[in-house]
Amino acid sequence: MSVKDIRFFIPVVVVLAAVVRIWLRRRRRSAGEPGASGSDRPPRPPRQPRPRRLPGYGPFSSDVGLVAAREIRERLRGRIFRIGTVVILAVVAGAIIIPTLTKSTPQPQRVGVVGSLSAPLHAVVVASAKTNGTAVRFVPEPDQKAASDAIRAGTIDLAIVDGQKIVVDQPVDANDSSGTAQLATNLGVAAAVQAAHLTPAQSAALNNAKPLPVSSLQPGAAKKKTHPTSVIGVILIFVMLTQYNTWTLIGVMEEKASRVIEVLLAAVRPIQLLTGKVLGIGLVAFAQAALIVGVALGLSAAVGSTLLHGTGPLVVVSTLVWLLLGYSFYCWVYAAAGSLAQRQDQVQSLAFPLTLPIIFGYIISLTAAASGSPSELVKVLAYLPPTAPFAMPVLVGFGAVNLWEFLASVAITIVGIFGVARLATAIYTRAILRTGKRVRISEVLARNAG
Amino acid sequence: MGLLELEGLTRRFGTLTALDDLSFSVPAGEVVGFLGPNGAGKTTTMRAVFGLTRLDAGVVRWDGHPVGPVDRRRFGYMPEERGLYPAMLVGEQLEYLGRLHGMSASAAEAATKNWLDRLGVLDRVESKVDALSHGNQQRVQLAAALVHGPELLVLDEPLAGLDPSGIDAIGGVLVEQARAGCCVLFSSHQLDQVEDLCESVTIIDHGRLVVTGKVDDLATSGSPRLVVRVEGDREGSWAQGLDGVTISEVDGGAARLVLDPTVDSQTVLEAAMAKGRVTEFVFERRRLSEVFREAVK
Repeated sequence: MSVKDIRFFIPVVVVLAAVVRIWLRRRRRSAGEPGASGSDRPPRPPRQPRPRRLPGYGPFSSDVGLVAAREIRERLRGRIFRIGTVVILAVVAGAIIIPTLTKSTPQPQRVGVVGSLSAPLHAVVVASAKTNGTAVRFVPEPDQKAASDAIRAGTIDLAIVDGQKIVVDQPVDANDSSGTAQLATNLGVAAAVQAAHLTPAQSAALNNAKPLPVSSLQPGAAKKKTHPTSVIGVILIFVMLTQYNTWTLIGVMEEKASRVIEVLLAAVRPIQLLTGKVLGIGLVAFAQAALIVGVALGLSAAVGSTLLHGTGPLVVVSTLVWLLLGYSFYCWVYAAAGSLAQRQDQVQSLAFPLTLPIIFGYIISLTAAASGSPSELVKVLAYLPPTAPFAMPVLVGFGAVNLWEFLASVAITIVGIFGVARLATAIYTRAILRTGKRVRISEVLARNAG
Repeated sequence: MGLLELEGLTRRFGTLTALDDLSFSVPAGEVVGFLGPNGAGKTTTMRAVFGLTRLDAGVVRWDGHPVGPVDRRRFGYMPEERGLYPAMLVGEQLEYLGRLHGMSASAAEAATKNWLDRLGVLDRVESKVDALSHGNQQRVQLAAALVHGPELLVLDEPLAGLDPSGIDAIGGVLVEQARAGCCVLFSSHQLDQVEDLCESVTIIDHGRLVVTGKVDDLATSGSPRLVVRVEGDREGSWAQGLDGVTISEVDGGAARLVLDPTVDSQTVLEAAMAKGRVTEFVFERRRLSEVFREAVK
């Protein structure tokens, strides 16, 4: 599977996400606004099962744990989570399986051998076939006529007669780039080397000949492909960061709008409530990511996808690391934004500016992956906490980053996370109990705010 | 037995002074009504008890020491605009809040069932909050304030919008909690209900304390009030011109009179009898609504 193949799935992901969002919005509207009813509603229709009570809080006994456990239970119960998981799994499965279906598995080439075929020539035939992505099955033929009959009957693809001649069904131009023409050239060179009676060392030197280095007049590295897994990883990080951070924003806003925040903060401190919320939503995000990656790895292994070849496993690990770091960075920002809102209709205007660095990092990184060369911009973005979750996995996919560079970017992002968490907590603490109108950030950061 | 003391609470929002050196206390075993016109500072006061608003001055004490997070876990709070997750199941929500107040899982579950049963909404334990009627949401909200067995209950307008059965149910629970040794402070604009439920009231206006005391003391304080009915005199004209007597209202021949403290009621009775046969002559307690109106006028 190539980068080009994967780009096909980007619009599919966007369209599916849009469809699901529109559908869920319509469902919410048809269900009516919370608390709007003046009397008890009739029981739910039988086809809609009542919400199933989930198990208790288990190991989450601390305040932060209790808050996190509630988030996990409510999110797992939600339709958005279930439908979103199924959609993402379907897209990932399609990205893995479809390319393998469209790529035909090459049949071994059947080569008839008339007379003897020396070991060097035998090796040349095998190597030529391997170059073309096929294997070879040698079929002994008693004479040229029998070999010709077999070619006509389709039981062999070509025949080599006494190591001197190749017989095929259709005419072949010796100058074209077909496999048969290449085989003919290679066998000719091998026969010439054999006829020259070279020493074994000379023969080995010829066989191991390396191409001469080529220097270009234009600067810049040669183009190379990024690993396709890194592209899938960046898309996954983008989808999950926007999805889960929006949950955090809306979750905080709803607690404030419903005034349940007043009841909660009468019992727990704001930092505990906020930490529990981002921890709970984060755990759900990683459970979903782990499921998606697990399914992707299983499917890749089952269908023999190229996603895990080469640096694939490294890219998978990198993707998970940067999903963790990306969520850890943005969750605080979105939570602080949620504490500034009063109503649902303010969510879009608050979320939009926060989404800009995510979209910027995502597009620049994907463009770099598709262009075949990491730009200088991507190399810079890979060290900035807001964009590193997208840029660094692409660099890893290119194999264009050392371990220390990777760790340096991680360290910078962790420092950024601490800084953002501190600022966001201050904003949240000051804004979450302010009611009336939408709170401006300048108000909460004023010296006497509180 | 707990004691909530508010001492010198002051809170300013820009140029507006929401609380102005406000002091009063809520003893255990009493239902204390917290009254005041809209914008008087009742909600700000209640939020201050839970540390939900910053104070410019003053201190909230519980059992003699400044209130801290550990104390607040033993308090129950019902905000004015309610505070429940609309899409969360009633039972799970109460258990969650109980656990946040330090209860074990089993204790929270048992208390949840107990309070939902006590308030008549046990059959909605598996319902989402936003599927309940206003009255039932109110009951669930009260259960949320009670689930952890608080020593102090602070309820902001718990009776607003309730039908008589809802008022009886919630009012009964408040009285029961007070009898069990809990401090109960609740705000309301329904003065008749406050008069029925409360032993004491505290009235504030513009963030300042204007009246506080026992309901009985307030009802019997001030000028004596009489209701006198004289046969054949539907306008109460017999009382006009009596020194130290003010006619506050005449309703169907019954004259409501306010007497100066120096006026002897016997003099009034004699004046009435001189005009005709007296069919009604009773001393009347001051109603809480009168106390309120006089306090905040």
